[in-house]
Amino acid sequence: MPSVTFDHVYKRFGDTRVIEDFDLTVADGELLVLVGGSGSGKSTILRMLAGLEPVTSGTMRIDNRDVTTLPSRERDVAMVFQDYALYPHMTVRENLSLGLRLRKVPRQEIDRRVEWAGSILELAPLLDRKPKQLSGGQRQRVAMGRAMVREPLVFLFDEPLSNLDAGLRAQMRIEIGALQRRLKTTTVYVTHDQVEAMTLGDRIVVLADGRIQQIGQPIELYRAPVNRFVAGFIGTPQMNFVEGHLGEELGTTMFIADGARVKLARTFPMVSGSSASVTLGVRPEDLLLSTSHSSESPAPDALLGRVVLVERLGGTSHVHCDVGAHRLMASVSHGALPQVGDHVAVRVPSDRVHLFAADGRALP
Amino acid sequence: MRTLGRVALYLGLALAAITFIYPFLWMASTTLKPPSEVGTLALWPDHITFDNYRTMWARAPFGRALFNSALVATTITLAVLVFGSMTAYAMARLHFRGRPWLNAVTMAVLLVPGQLTLIPLYTLIVQLGWIDTYAALIVPFLFNATAILMLRQFFLQIPQSLLDSARMDGMGELRILFTIFWPLSRPVLAIVAIVTFMGSWNEVLWPLLVVREQHLMTLPQLLTVFVLGGGAGSIGVSLASAMVLVVPIVVAYAFLQRYFIESMAGAGIKG
Repeated sequence: MPSVTFDHVYKRFGDTRVIEDFDLTVADGELLVLVGGSGSGKSTILRMLAGLEPVTSGTMRIDNRDVTTLPSRERDVAMVFQDYALYPHMTVRENLSLGLRLRKVPRQEIDRRVEWAGSILELAPLLDRKPKQLSGGQRQRVAMGRAMVREPLVFLFDEPLSNLDAGLRAQMRIEIGALQRRLKTTTVYVTHDQVEAMTLGDRIVVLADGRIQQIGQPIELYRAPVNRFVAGFIGTPQMNFVEGHLGEELGTTMFIADGARVKLARTFPMVSGSSASVTLGVRPEDLLLSTSHSSESPAPDALLGRVVLVERLGGTSHVHCDVGAHRLMASVSHGALPQVGDHVAVRVPSDRVHLFAADGRALP
Repeated sequence: MRTLGRVALYLGLALAAITFIYPFLWMASTTLKPPSEVGTLALWPDHITFDNYRTMWARAPFGRALFNSALVATTITLAVLVFGSMTAYAMARLHFRGRPWLNAVTMAVLLVPGQLTLIPLYTLIVQLGWIDTYAALIVPFLFNATAILMLRQFFLQIPQSLLDSARMDGMGELRILFTIFWPLSRPVLAIVAIVTFMGSWNEVLWPLLVVREQHLMTLPQLLTVFVLGGGAGSIGVSLASAMVLVVPIVVAYAFLQRYFIESMAGAGIKG
C-alpha cells in the first residue's frame, strides 16, 4: 500500500535549521494537509518528498521503499505547483503527455490517459490550446491533469490555489477534494490557508519553525489545540487571547486580567492559586453579546465592553469591543447588532475557554 | 499646431534616415555603375552593369572566401549558442562547488581587452601547429563570456517551478535545457546569434595573423588584402566586394530583427 513515511527527517541550509525531527506517516489514500505560516518549512518538506531538495538526515519511504536518495523521476510522485508550471510553448495535450512520453508509455495508453483526465477535468475542448490561452482555473486543471495522467503513488500539491481569486479558489478546493476521494491517491497538500486545510484534510499537520506543532483531524485541532500557536492558526476569525493570571474567589477558579474576570468551569491544579501568568483563549463564535447600560453591573460571568467596530458580512458579523485594556472580537450571526459606541456585556462561557501557560502549552 | 509639430518631426526623422541610408544606397548603386559614372552622387546608374562584380570574382577567389567566412561564422555561432547556453544553464541553475567563483571569473574575462590576449593566443596557435588551418579561425572563439552572461541572466528569470516540473517529468538537465529553456529563450538566443555571427563575420585582424594561404582566407580578410594590395584597381570593384561582405549580415538581420528589437526593448523593462 502506498503510504508515505518520514523518519526523523532534518533539513539544514548551511547553519539554518529548516526542518527539525520531522516524523510522520501518511496513510494509504489519505489526504494530509501541511499547514503553517511562511518560513514554517512546509514547502521544504514537500520538495524533499518530491526529490527536489536533498535531506540532511533521516529517511523517507514511499510504499515501504526508501526513496531518500532517489532522483525525483524514480519516486513515482507527481506534483501540482503554485504557479502551475505548465510548459508555455507546448499545447495542453503536450503538457499532459510529456511525462508519459519520457517514460516510454505506449502511444495508445498515453492517448487513453489524456482523454480520461481531459474528460474528468473538462479539458477536452482545450487540448490543442497553449497555456496562455487559458484562464487561471483552466491552467490549474491542466496542472492537475498532468499529475493525474502519471497515475503516481502520491500526489503532492504545493499551495495550488493561492494564485486564484476567491470564488475560483472555493470552487477548485471542492473539485480537488472530490477528485482525491474519487482517485483515492495518497496526497500531501501544502497550504498557508487554514480554510483549505480544514475543508480538505483528512488530517492536518500544523507546522511552525520547522517543527510539528500538532497532528490531528481538523475538528480536533479546532476543539483542542495543544498550544497557543495552533489555537491562533486554526479557526477563522482568529481566537481571542487575553493575558492574565489565575486566582480563586469563593472556591471558584477565576481568570483575572486587567479589567476582566472570568469564572472558569474547572480547576487547573498546575497553576491554581499561583500568580503565574496565563493566556485565556476564546473563539469569537463562542462569545455571547448582549447590549447593556453602563450603569448596570454585568452578570457575574460577563465582562463590560464598548463596541469599537462592527464588520457586517451579511450572514455573520464581527463585533470588536474593548474590554478594559483588551480588544475582543465576537462573531454574531443572529439578533440585533450593536452600534459602534454601545456598551455591551460580553459573556465568556466557562466551558469554552482555553488556557495556555506562559510557554504557550495548553493547560490540561 | 499639433499637426505642424508632427510634420516637423517627421521631416526631421526623414532627413536623419536619409543621412544614414544614403551612403549605403550610393555604395550599392555604384557597384552597378560603369567606371565613367562612379564619380557622380546619383543613386540610379544611367547604364546598369555587373562588370565590377565580374572583375572582382575573376581577380580573387571570393567564392571560396565566402564559403570560408560562412563556415567559420556559422560554426562559431552554433558553438557559442550550444556551449554558451550549457555553461549559462549550469551557472544559473545548478548547484556546485565554486559556482560563485565561476561567475566572477566569467565577468572578469569581459574586462580583459581582446588586444591583450592577441599575442599569447597567436603564440599558442603557432605552438599547436594550427597556422593556416580552420581550427585557428574557429577554436579560440567557441566560448564567449558575453554570450554566457547574457544567457545566464535570461535563464535566471525562468521560474524554478518549470525546472522542478521538468525534473519530475523525468527529464535530464540537457533535455531541460534544449526542450524547455531554449524554446522560452528565443529572443536572447537570437540576439546572441546575430551579435556572434556579425562579430565573427567582420573579424579581420585575427585571420590576418593566423592565415596566409589564400584559399583559407575569410571574406573580410581577402577583401582587405585585395583592396589594400591594389588588386581591386577601381572604386567600383572595391565597393562590389564590400557589398558581398555586407549582404549576408543584412539578410540575417532582416530575419532576426523581430527578436533583436524585442530583446532590446525587453532589456529596458526587465532591468
